[in-house]
Amino acid sequence: MLRTKALRHTLFILLPVIAVAGLLPLAYSNQLLLFNFVVFLTLAQGVNILYGFTGYLPFGYVGFFGVGAYGFSLAVMHLHLPPLAALGAAALAAVLLGLVLTPLLRLSGAYFAIANLAASQAMFQVVSNPNLTDITKGPYGISLAGVFAPNLSYGVAVAILALTLGTVIYLRNSRFGLALLAVREDSVTAAMAGIDVVRTRTLAWQLSALVAGLIGGVFAWYVSVFYPETVFSPEFSIFAIVFALFGGVATITGPILGVVVLYGIYNAIGISTPQYFQLIYGALIMGLVLFLPNGVVSLFRRWGIDVP
Amino acid sequence: MSPDLAKPLLQIDRLVKRFGGFVALDGVSFHVMPGEILGLVGPNGSGKTTCINVISGLYKPNGGEVRFQGRSVGGLASHRLVHLGINRTFQVPKPFLPLTVRENVEVAAAYGRPAEGPSDIEAILASVELDGLGNKTAAELNSVQQKMLDLARALATGPRLLCVDELAAGLNPVELDRVAIRLRDLARGGMALLVVEHLMGFIDQVTDRVIVLNAGREIFEGVLAEAVRDPQVVEVFLGAAHVG
Amino acid sequence: MLAYAILAGLIFGLYFSLVGLGLNLVFGVMRIVNLAHGDVLMLGAFAAFWLFKLFGLHPVLSIFAVFAVFVAVGWPLYYLVVPRLLRAKDPEMLSIIFFFGLSQVIVALASIAFGSSERSIPGRVLGSGPYQILGQSFPAAWVVTGGVSALAVAFVYLYLYRTRLGYVTRAVMVHREEALATGIDVHRVSAIAFGIGLALSGIAGVFAPFMLGSVTPAMGVDINITSFAVIVVGSLGNPLGTVLGGIAYGISLMFMQTYFSSWANLLPYLLLITILLVRPSGLLGRKVRSA
Repeated sequence: MLRTKALRHTLFILLPVIAVAGLLPLAYSNQLLLFNFVVFLTLAQGVNILYGFTGYLPFGYVGFFGVGAYGFSLAVMHLHLPPLAALGAAALAAVLLGLVLTPLLRLSGAYFAIANLAASQAMFQVVSNPNLTDITKGPYGISLAGVFAPNLSYGVAVAILALTLGTVIYLRNSRFGLALLAVREDSVTAAMAGIDVVRTRTLAWQLSALVAGLIGGVFAWYVSVFYPETVFSPEFSIFAIVFALFGGVATITGPILGVVVLYGIYNAIGISTPQYFQLIYGALIMGLVLFLPNGVVSLFRRWGIDVP
Repeated sequence: MSPDLAKPLLQIDRLVKRFGGFVALDGVSFHVMPGEILGLVGPNGSGKTTCINVISGLYKPNGGEVRFQGRSVGGLASHRLVHLGINRTFQVPKPFLPLTVRENVEVAAAYGRPAEGPSDIEAILASVELDGLGNKTAAELNSVQQKMLDLARALATGPRLLCVDELAAGLNPVELDRVAIRLRDLARGGMALLVVEHLMGFIDQVTDRVIVLNAGREIFEGVLAEAVRDPQVVEVFLGAAHVG
Repeated sequence: MLAYAILAGLIFGLYFSLVGLGLNLVFGVMRIVNLAHGDVLMLGAFAAFWLFKLFGLHPVLSIFAVFAVFVAVGWPLYYLVVPRLLRAKDPEMLSIIFFFGLSQVIVALASIAFGSSERSIPGRVLGSGPYQILGQSFPAAWVVTGGVSALAVAFVYLYLYRTRLGYVTRAVMVHREEALATGIDVHRVSAIAFGIGLALSGIAGVFAPFMLGSVTPAMGVDINITSFAVIVVGSLGNPLGTVLGGIAYGISLMFMQTYFSSWANLLPYLLLITILLVRPSGLLGRKVRSA
């Protein structure tokens, strides 16, 4: 039964999303905007993997994104790797950071969120430190004009989004996803169901780190010129979390809905007047916590419509 | 591998558990044979639940030994003990509320690595009278049903030793009878059970033998009928409402 | 240089104690993580700026206005949201998300109202000429801020340990459920603590122009991290432990700035993470780990 559901989710959610993301540039000329949609779809699902399936809210999620961007850039600049191989370095950087930060998982919810935020800020301080200019270019930023290839990097970003969506579909329809939800609900009972709580959590943590690192690497590739504060901007964490929470975590469609609706609004009104957009999503978050803690998708469930 | 009926399945030897300055288990020793139901009784705070918590890996012992099938297992992580064949129910069960009843059992069957091969989830649900509720979420169950779900979760991992912590509390007499019969069935199938319970009638009905604990030590070992004539046991329980 | 670093660390430490105090009081009494703490502080800073700019009000006097207004806002705000959050399965997590939303709303409103330009109050307003302490000279603004911070800490001590209300408040901190059972009006006690907590953050904001640099609507994020570092080092939920955390933080910051200035920015983050992992109960003890 799980297999047929996974197949259905792949056919009716993953394929259409990827088709739209992949084909829209042919009809719509603002590729950068579409690219940003792909980035946020991926990041929101990355938050979903961690928060939705383990309950750890990564306020410093951008840390993986930024480290991925720098992993990619350093591999291109210093090792002269071709972009696709440099993406491996991006993934490696994010997974290594995940490994270093794994002890944070010992902290309970709110403390994890704060410590994670601090960790991402610490990474920013390290990368942008003038003392490391020889390695990271410090605060002066990165320029990778030599590998600039918007169409190819856009395509790779869509591929990473597909991979991420596939991961979430797997989690929604597998025993492993069930085990994660069990751990999230009660770790003691989960252990007595035979689940290795630490290993299960760590796997989800690393999956979510990997996703952010990869998309961070592609981001560096796509924009080619950026400053440390661009790729470590807390807005990446904030937006990804808000989008995921708005739609509803531990679902496949929730974060997609959140990105399409909220990032759509952002692009309609937010770019010229970001403070009004901030006001809207701030108020939305407060309202959601008080009245709809499981996101918009849970509303459909309440009406008896099963939304995956 | 068939259980060796002559040797104890679980052997507790001078087990010590301290919380700061408080000594919860002060050198407890006892054993459980395969197919046996051993009752663990004693007043509140005598160390019964602590004992189960150590056996199931929630607490690490500070001293002494826990041997399971001849192997020292004290201090192993809970999930590894589950894989070896130890499981338990909780006094206050905390099932996975957003998951369905079936998923609750399914995840235990998948991760518990039962030695006898994959568990029959529907049969387990039926055996604790939760058949027909498989598609409901655990949150929709009442507290007695949640206790039964907790038992089903434990059974799905195919345990050789099952620790039952106050399963009877809150059940009506009819339900009590059915649970007692169910536990005896499990023992007849070769499973060893360690039962902590305040209701002496229930203990009398299900156990082969009891250990009486007081202040972290065992003060009596034998059948319940003799325990109530033991002067030390009587003294410990005197005035306590649980006698009867 | 050493004596300077220690003394400056003490002065800043007193101020950082004040910065963390309100956050820790709220956490201690109701186990609510106020992620909008830094933004409340920012509002206090803007209040001081405008009161000074428009009416020439001395910052030390604006403390009283800020205190009154913030208590008056915090009290009803408690009844509007906190009881609802506390009923949830995981109040800490839910509160952090809720107050994150509130934080965004405050920052947005402040940007709309004040714009994003940097504001400051000249340091000489708090006194002219440097003060000499043990042969070291410090700006008058620092010394005045340190003094006011010490008074604010003393005020919290008197409130918690020398009044009937404080006695009851501490009972709620130790055992909310039991306090409820003994007939204490837990919500009233918590609402007052919430109001005082916000007011303390506002007062810390009054001195932000002198201690933390210029005032902008976005300044709250970094202050949150610093405040969490301070109260986690001190120990979460123990308001007076904040002082220990504040001084430890102030002195280490001054040492970093004196001897490793280019890495000083890393301090709050590393301190926060290290303490959470190594000694999560802080220097004075209280458990925050889950597993």
